[in-house]
Amino acid sequence: MELTPQLSWYLALSAVLFTIGVVGVIVKRNVIAMFMCIELMLNAVNLTFVAFSSYFRDVSGQLFVFIVMTVAAAEAAVGLGIIIAIFRNRESLDVDEANILRL
Amino acid sequence: MDWNFVLSIILQFTAITVAFTVVLMIVAYTVLAERRVLAFIQGRLGPNRVGYGGVLQPFADLLKFILKEEIVPDKSTKFVYFLAPILAITTALMPLIVYPFGPTVRLPFLGDIALVIARFDVGLLYVLGITSVGVYGIALAGWSSNNKYSLMGGLRASAQLISYELSLGLSLIGVVLMSGTLDLSGIVEQQSAWYGMRWNIIFQPIGFIIYLISAIAETNRVPFDLPEAETELVAGFHTEYSALKFALFFMAEYVNMFTVSMLATTLFLGGWSGPFIQQLPWLGPFYFLGKIIFFLFLYIWIRGTLPRFRFDQLMNFGWKFLLPVAILNIILTATLALFGWI
Amino acid sequence: MSAILFILFAGLAIGCAVSMIVQRNPLYSAISLIGVFISLACIYVTLAAPFIAAVQVIVYAGAIMVLVVFVIMLLNVEEEERPAFRLRYLVPTAILFAALLAAEASFVIFTVQTSPYQQAHPSASANPSEVGLTASIGRGLFTQYLLPFEITSLLLLMAIVGAMTLARRASFLSPNVRVVPGAQVLTRQTVDPRAVGDATAIETDSTIEAERLLGLENAPHAKDRD
Repeated sequence: MELTPQLSWYLALSAVLFTIGVVGVIVKRNVIAMFMCIELMLNAVNLTFVAFSSYFRDVSGQLFVFIVMTVAAAEAAVGLGIIIAIFRNRESLDVDEANILRL
Repeated sequence: MDWNFVLSIILQFTAITVAFTVVLMIVAYTVLAERRVLAFIQGRLGPNRVGYGGVLQPFADLLKFILKEEIVPDKSTKFVYFLAPILAITTALMPLIVYPFGPTVRLPFLGDIALVIARFDVGLLYVLGITSVGVYGIALAGWSSNNKYSLMGGLRASAQLISYELSLGLSLIGVVLMSGTLDLSGIVEQQSAWYGMRWNIIFQPIGFIIYLISAIAETNRVPFDLPEAETELVAGFHTEYSALKFALFFMAEYVNMFTVSMLATTLFLGGWSGPFIQQLPWLGPFYFLGKIIFFLFLYIWIRGTLPRFRFDQLMNFGWKFLLPVAILNIILTATLALFGWI
Repeated sequence: MSAILFILFAGLAIGCAVSMIVQRNPLYSAISLIGVFISLACIYVTLAAPFIAAVQVIVYAGAIMVLVVFVIMLLNVEEEERPAFRLRYLVPTAILFAALLAAEASFVIFTVQTSPYQQAHPSASANPSEVGLTASIGRGLFTQYLLPFEITSLLLLMAIVGAMTLARRASFLSPNVRVVPGAQVLTRQTVDPRAVGDATAIETDSTIEAERLLGLENAPHAKDRD
């Protein structure tokens, strides 16, 4: 089978993953699950960058992926800290119940 | 279909199967060796009834594990409960494929064969990645047993693992700075200079000590084995596992020991290098195995000698002492490499 | 062969992603997400980017998801219920957004597919891609992209300080208490993150008094004592 994957295949996969992430953020109630869907969206974008970088033989894409991963790690640490603080005060991880500023 | 390609895939699978089988056999006998050596340290004999001097003991243990009754806790989440030991043993066995067992040997019919299963550019990062994923086996086991001792043991063990992973990785950066490559085969080839004695431990003694301490903490061995000490937490994260699943965890711990010993010999003690390696390349695997057995003996020796750390002492040591020393080691090595002295 | 590998890993990634949003138990969602990350790492390897693949496993699957799994375990997050009235207006919204994104994506993909600048596959034997190797990434990171690298390290420092500040529990002024050995002391469970303070020791004469001072008089266990 001489069929090799084209660049558009990788872009299609990335689009599908991104769309699944968006649907997840809209539909899910648990704030940790929403956070995980955001990570999925970031990964879909990473896939696009790496695909372009590999097909066009340019290293900038992969360097940007490196930086995106670092930013995602920093965001995960601080975001989960915020989630724990919210949980401590409201005793619930439901975003539908977190609809007023007062506890 | 390209038949050369299919043949190479079949060869790879065979090599992997052989390697896994050999490692599991060595691990089974390591368990026996540990019991005997520990017994001699403590002034008694170990198991010596089954077979001559106890050499058939591992098979007796295996039979016992297979025939024991499987008790599954009622309220545990079944899928995660069954997934955890599988994850543990898989991530313990996977790093084996990147280690070079010997130099390139010339076989009569097959030409030159490099004695390594898979050689790629980022071998060391692959090993570190698999070690990072190995945390899940323990954390999920502790959580899914629905038992507060297991949960505490699992969380403590995972916290210990992720803390010492940092100093493990950082201690290896000195070696990578010196060798200029992340490829394990390349690192070992550079250590076969000076008649096979240009080992990295001469140039990186601090890195070696940090690596050794972090490796003992990574594999949950004494003196860092509070998460699974019997006097503390019943049996830690594998309290609720019985029979074959417990055997998988048990084997996973010893395979982990084997893997970190392999990494230590590859990076610091020269892997397959040794005297007369250029003239007799088939001595390579024997040197490799000999050095690994030395490390395993060192593990058992330390187990018989030292008391264990309390958990907060363990975490303090890892974060406040080992991590800064590892960073200082990197700075020192980088400075010396910049001036061309290493 | 590379097409088979791509379809295999892409199927795995999409399957795990769908499983992640369908599962109600957040721990199963987390495990599915780890599956997505590992299949993406395999795709990066087929794209001749081994360094990014290894870093993906180490950072995403090995560090970020460990953090998420710890949080799920410690907060003991329950399964999520899906009341029907909520889904009734959310699912059409989600489908609408998905359709919009799919339309945009197909436009881009069509443009890329029919573009005259077709490139060879990264692991093609004629012109293999050398940019994924560690040397090339290191060269780019420390020469041309040095400023983003330094800014990223500053960002990580900010994240560390931020996480430490958020995780700090007690206030700076400790309550005016004194510990007398032998008197009745009632401390809160420190494993429970719902505790809004440290284990504060209070000196009283009786357990009931201590519970009242700590505000635990309406706790479930207080009612079934006489």
